[in-house]
Amino acid sequence: MLKQELYRKLVAYIVENQEKFYRLAFSYLKNQEDALDVVQNAICKALEHYGELKSEAALRTWFYRIVLNESIILYHKRKREILTQDDEWVEQSYEEKGFDIHDDLYARINRLEEGAQKIIKLRFFEELTLEEIAQVLDLNINTVKAKLYRGLKALKIAEGEEEET
Amino acid sequence: MNRMTEAKQEYLSIPIPQELSERVKLEVERAEKKRRFSLMKKRIVSAAAVVAVLFVTGLNTSEVFAEEMSDIPVIGTLAKIFTFRSYETETEDLKISVEIPGIAVIAEDLQDLEEEVNEDIYAFCAQYAREAQGRAEEYRQAFLATGGTKEEWAAHEISIRVWYEVRTQSDRYLSLVVKGAESWTSAYSEDRYYNLDLETGKWITLRDILGDDYAGIVRRSILAQIDQIGQKRAEDVADYWPDQWQGIDEDVNFYINQAYNPVVVLEKYEIAPGAAGQLEFEIRKED
Repeated sequence: MLKQELYRKLVAYIVENQEKFYRLAFSYLKNQEDALDVVQNAICKALEHYGELKSEAALRTWFYRIVLNESIILYHKRKREILTQDDEWVEQSYEEKGFDIHDDLYARINRLEEGAQKIIKLRFFEELTLEEIAQVLDLNINTVKAKLYRGLKALKIAEGEEEET
Repeated sequence: MNRMTEAKQEYLSIPIPQELSERVKLEVERAEKKRRFSLMKKRIVSAAAVVAVLFVTGLNTSEVFAEEMSDIPVIGTLAKIFTFRSYETETEDLKISVEIPGIAVIAEDLQDLEEEVNEDIYAFCAQYAREAQGRAEEYRQAFLATGGTKEEWAAHEISIRVWYEVRTQSDRYLSLVVKGAESWTSAYSEDRYYNLDLETGKWITLRDILGDDYAGIVRRSILAQIDQIGQKRAEDVADYWPDQWQGIDEDVNFYINQAYNPVVVLEKYEIAPGAAGQLEFEIRKED
């Protein structure tokens, strides 16, 4: 496919699915301005480096990877800022001690270890296949599976309960 | 309802701010501009490389090319006139300085026009430089054959110059003139005007601007302007030869000025003594 055409497809895909990318970013940052910045940065990076995109088939996973990376980079940056500012506040906002196993699953997913958290969000919220997730994270599919099960276990969800595919 | 479905519902209920679509649009537009700009830059570089090769083989001299990429288009403009390449070469006998312009157009449907104009400009510059060198050589031989010494010849400081001047550069029009001149004679000076309409993607003719009666309009306008000069200072009008003037045809030189009016350029001796040089007349449309 011509680069020109691929570029247009990429733009169309981004515009069409902008809300998904915003939600994914927001699920990490919990802040409207930061999530908007992430989406904007991701678009900027993707369109600037669209030459690295190999084919239309890879478009979806390629862009998810950029959004995830941007989200996590900013998430860590914010966390560091808060840590250096005020230790107590961190306790409340990021550890969220008040929650336990009886709290809702969504909140617990957001406290999950980073690797498993990404996989669970992509699998259950964005409904990517394991194959696609492997592409997004640049991991072997067996590694993705193992991490997914470990994550589900941590959430106290039986492997059979949520695993339709 | 299982708990994962609930979690997904919660995730999906993250409110989408109104600003999102605006910010996305903004970023896409910004990236698009940047991309077009870099595509244009690439084309300029590759076209300039072609010209450089042609010139080196064409003139068979060892010029040092100076890249002038600093004058690259400002983001946001639709088209730009820029210096493709410039070089100077100097031997004992001859100094040549050439400054070749090029145009770069953003719109994709105008790429053919861009190519055509750049090729034409290149052909004009190359031909003028070649012919002028031939004339310089003839002159040198004649000079030496008629008893001149090499030292005397060197003192002449013979030079050839090819350069360009931008007349108008807007989102709608590009108007420029490419000039060739020789230091020892003005008889072979040449000007070539380029007037382009970026909306239609065509070379502009006087008929396009003034209509079918363009020759009549230009004639009346120029005669009226000379008449006005005469009304101010009667003796000045003697400097013109309106009675001998044949009027213009479609090959007349003109450019588009900043007010988007055509300015007709009459050659030396056409309407005035040679000492007056070229004369320019701005033509305003008749009411």
